Amino acid sequence: MTTAMPSLSQVMRFKATRVRTVLFVLKARAMVVLVALLVLFSYLAPSFFSANNLSILAKHIAISAILAIGMTFVVLTGGIDLSVGSVAGLTGMVAGYFLTQGIVIVGAQHDPPVLICIALSIAIGMFVGLVNGLLVSKAGVAPFIATLGTLYIARGAALLISNGKTFPNLAGHAARGNTGFQALGQTFVAGLPLPVWTMLLLFGIGVTISRKTPFGRHVYAVGGNERAARLAGIPVPAVKIFTYLGSSVCAAIVGLIIASQLEAAHPATGESFELNAIAAVVLGGTSLMGGRGSVSGSLIGACVIGVLADGLVMLGVSEFWQMVIKGTVIVLAVAIDQMQSRVQARFLPLLLQRGERGGAA
Amino acid sequence: MKHLREDIILDARAITRRYPGTIALNRVDFRVYRQQVNVLIGENGAGKSTLMRILAGAENPDEGELWLEGSPIVLRSPRDAAKHGIAIVHQELSVLPNLDLADNIFAGREEVQAKIIVDRKREEQRSMDALRRLRKPMNVHNQAGHLSLGARQVVELARTLDQKAKVLILDEPTSALSNAEAETLFSVIGELKSSGVTIVYISHRLNELLHLGNHFTVLRSGRIVGEAQRAAVTRQWIVERMSGRKDAERAMPHGEFGNGAVLLRIEGLTLAGTADEQMEKAPLRDVSFSVHHGEIVGIYGLLGAGRTELLECIAGRTRPTSGVMLQSDVLLHLKSPADGVKAGIYLVPEDRQRDGLIPELSIRENIALAAANGRFLDRKKETAASRQLVRELNIAATDLELPITALSGGNQQKALIARCLLGSPRVLLLDEPTRGVDVGAKAEIYRILRRLAAQGIGVLFTSSEIEETMELADRALVLCQGSIRAEFRRAEMTDEALFAAASPSAPNVLRSDSGGAFA
Repeated sequence: MTTAMPSLSQVMRFKATRVRTVLFVLKARAMVVLVALLVLFSYLAPSFFSANNLSILAKHIAISAILAIGMTFVVLTGGIDLSVGSVAGLTGMVAGYFLTQGIVIVGAQHDPPVLICIALSIAIGMFVGLVNGLLVSKAGVAPFIATLGTLYIARGAALLISNGKTFPNLAGHAARGNTGFQALGQTFVAGLPLPVWTMLLLFGIGVTISRKTPFGRHVYAVGGNERAARLAGIPVPAVKIFTYLGSSVCAAIVGLIIASQLEAAHPATGESFELNAIAAVVLGGTSLMGGRGSVSGSLIGACVIGVLADGLVMLGVSEFWQMVIKGTVIVLAVAIDQMQSRVQARFLPLLLQRGERGGAA
Repeated sequence: MKHLREDIILDARAITRRYPGTIALNRVDFRVYRQQVNVLIGENGAGKSTLMRILAGAENPDEGELWLEGSPIVLRSPRDAAKHGIAIVHQELSVLPNLDLADNIFAGREEVQAKIIVDRKREEQRSMDALRRLRKPMNVHNQAGHLSLGARQVVELARTLDQKAKVLILDEPTSALSNAEAETLFSVIGELKSSGVTIVYISHRLNELLHLGNHFTVLRSGRIVGEAQRAAVTRQWIVERMSGRKDAERAMPHGEFGNGAVLLRIEGLTLAGTADEQMEKAPLRDVSFSVHHGEIVGIYGLLGAGRTELLECIAGRTRPTSGVMLQSDVLLHLKSPADGVKAGIYLVPEDRQRDGLIPELSIRENIALAAANGRFLDRKKETAASRQLVRELNIAATDLELPITALSGGNQQKALIARCLLGSPRVLLLDEPTRGVDVGAKAEIYRILRRLAAQGIGVLFTSSEIEETMELADRALVLCQGSIRAEFRRAEMTDEALFAAASPSAPNVLRSDSGGAFA
């Protein structure tokens, strides 16, 4: 009974603060890793922070970030979209076909302008997304299987378009009135490559949709408890279809950007991109079980993957070791995610005691 | 008092609903009277919840029609029902655990500004208003997954309140509530009624129904078997119609048990509760008791009392925080259900679909699931052993190779018991042995359990039904908030004593005689 003894409530408060700190670090792990990587690479490779390198890095990040933004919505509903890499490849090929071959309508050759080509390519991508959505929500096919199927179908279709060949010279001809496609991937606006602006725009849209619109909330609801969501009157099938559509549109945009950067459409473009996108989403703290995660997390995840890949290249680490390191980072991230859930569940009563907003998302 | 046609706000006519293997509702006519508490009573599996899901648009009837205020309506989804002013609070509370209270209250019907942006401010304001009207102010930023069951119910009520429902269906609203919470609910119901809302109330707690109800309808095995006004209703009237028996006396004579040797002894079993998003676990506090040879021990308790947790600890599925288990004076260390099975402890779980059956497999494969020993399966032996058990337990299966899902609930349950018997059980644990089982199969399952007890097996079951506990148990333990509050020998058991011991706080409004305080 000495006065120097801290009271029970003081001890509890101290403990709660400590738990909160640990939880915060665990939750912000992707950001922590990102900062650590940036510090590490800038120390080991002095040219890492050169303007030229950062610009290249940003372009690389933009590719996986755009895919990850669309993928986040799918994963939030508890699904997965394996077809994004193939869709990127297919849309690039479709654009390449229209730009180089044109369209033959009733025997007459037409050369659609670039914007029409882009719109048609995106429409093809959306069609694949629609098929994914219908398979998952109406036919009841497991998302993994449905999108694995469309992964193969879209890749096959991409190869069929040109019989496996590359469409070169997408720059177009002034005479045919279809020039300007390369602007999509090669223009600089205010010092930043256009793809990076595209990514930022999509990121803004993604954040707004996920946090501010009824649709965004429905996505979380479906992933949190699908049955309850249906009973609450949320149109679950429509929500799922829209997430797959969104993911495909993002994939189509990536396909167009790559084709524009290379001024050529290659049917193998985008192979294994889906894995990078999923890795980015998971690194960003989105649960593969659905219902938990954020678009901004996925962006950070994409940054981690991009920085890691480019940094290791600059350090001259062999490609084989790069893969080992990337895999390790992903597995560790998910292990930490599980740890975070456990810490949170265990200390929840403590956290709820003070500050009613303690419940964490 | 006779009701006029115009008093009927919602009228379900000749509703039929079939499930594979059973008819859940058989040409049911259900009338809901305006501004009354319309009580629907029936045992588990009578079809109450199915009927309510149909009224709420969550399920479609195979035949029959719905009339609302004199005109026919078709409800294709919960959204349709909400548009017509019909709201439901489901028995399995359906909150979205990852969203906060305001999000939950407005899920599927978000308030928007500029057509697309969620108007959080207005949602929060209206959520707070609704919660205040329910006299349960809560922080609307809290995540729903962290709430107690009672608080989740309040959230669902707030949701229906904000929707301005004309007809509010409450499906077993108090099964998850403490007494204090139930009392709050009753006063809210009284308030809603006086503000013009029609209530449909489902429960099988007689005291509560007699206290609240104005109009009574009894459902048994998918048929309406009684309808009356409060004045004409007595406890006996309800029990007779629910059970289909003239008198509710014990169906079978019981021998005196409890003199046999102790089979299993539990001492000081304690489990820390968790509130994980997926798995909520009620805590257990210092639970001690024993099960004797040939004895049927019943554990009665309300939802959230820790019944399931207790059985899962004993079966080795959950590891208790502390406490010991002894089997014939030998300490048991169960690290998994497999260890439990090695010690002869078998569990028939509460949720058949989730924890018991493997729907893709046949009846034979389900029964013989855990019995395969050695390197290869012996189809012949399996078939012979399953066939014998199917005969012994009187499982209505024409072909053992049919999928298990072809069986009715009662027969599925018997198949799960058969699975346990194919091992060599010394203690059989059953969590809610007759949940979702029709009356006939219920009686049969009781007979089977008695026969097993007579063969020397110790039977330990849990139940949330007083009548089941009274009918089956040689000895009843009452579990409340994780500790054993009372123990009754067979001769000492009464409805009131069991119920009183199971209620977290002293019951005061739940006396059956209390008058029309909210009428």
